[in-house]
Amino acid sequence: MSDEIQVSVRTESSATVIDLVGDVTTFAEEAINQAYQSASSDGAINIIFNFRENDYINSAGIAILIGVVTEARKRDQKLLMTGLSAHFQKIFRMVGLTQYADLYPSVEEALASLNGDSSAA
Amino acid sequence: MHPQGNRVVELRIPSELGYEKIAREAVATVARRLNFGEEKIEDIKTAISEACTNAIRYGSGSDARMKVVVVLTADEDKLDILIKDPGAGGVPPLDVAIPDINGMIEGKARFGGMGLYIIRELVDEAGFVEGDDEDGNQFRMVIYRVDDDETKSEKSGSDNKGGTT
Repeated sequence: MSDEIQVSVRTESSATVIDLVGDVTTFAEEAINQAYQSASSDGAINIIFNFRENDYINSAGIAILIGVVTEARKRDQKLLMTGLSAHFQKIFRMVGLTQYADLYPSVEEALASLNGDSSAA
Repeated sequence: MHPQGNRVVELRIPSELGYEKIAREAVATVARRLNFGEEKIEDIKTAISEACTNAIRYGSGSDARMKVVVVLTADEDKLDILIKDPGAGGVPPLDVAIPDINGMIEGKARFGGMGLYIIRELVDEAGFVEGDDEDGNQFRMVIYRVDDDETKSEKSGSDNKGGTT
């Protein structure tokens, strides 16, 4: 009963955006890791994981993101996360993921922050 | 068998990852009928997803021929959730440490334990039910239907989440 997740990579002015549409569970591991590796291969320094607000994220999905954080730290990449519901923002804080990735409501606000607009966050 | 006023919903789902989402939707419907707030409903959905995922992965080895049974008992003041698995994974952990995310990222700590930790943070009571080994594992969660402020006060006043139920 696995559900497909759609993961796509796009380049914005100051970051690479990885859009996640669908549930972030163990079934998403390959797609997320491929997208991250693709972004890294293209030299991404700032990477935004853009979630869809009402999708389901479980601890297996969080473990995938911890794996990404581990790789990003080795490569001196900055991770940002956007689009999370208030509930999953709480979960991410609970498990400590926000120590390694700043959360923003939207991609636009994350990009503004990277561009030095402190009012965006 | 149940006191008057209780409503019991029982689900039997295949032990296959993905089916926990059926329990997640069912418990949301029951919680709405009990007038839980939307944020608390999100907490309950996440907690039951994690508990069912554990039952599928560890309690029955993701063997879809086996079943995970979810019993939702709705009372006036609480929602009682019991999750039963065949116990194929042996004795479940009875204590849960805060996940060492720094250690995981530095390769010093193993991945794991995240689900149980999240559950215990989100519900009022959670733990494996002792005994009944022949019937497999039983994991019980209780969520009381009280005002948010009252819930926080109760949770800070007494830690009733650490032990088994």
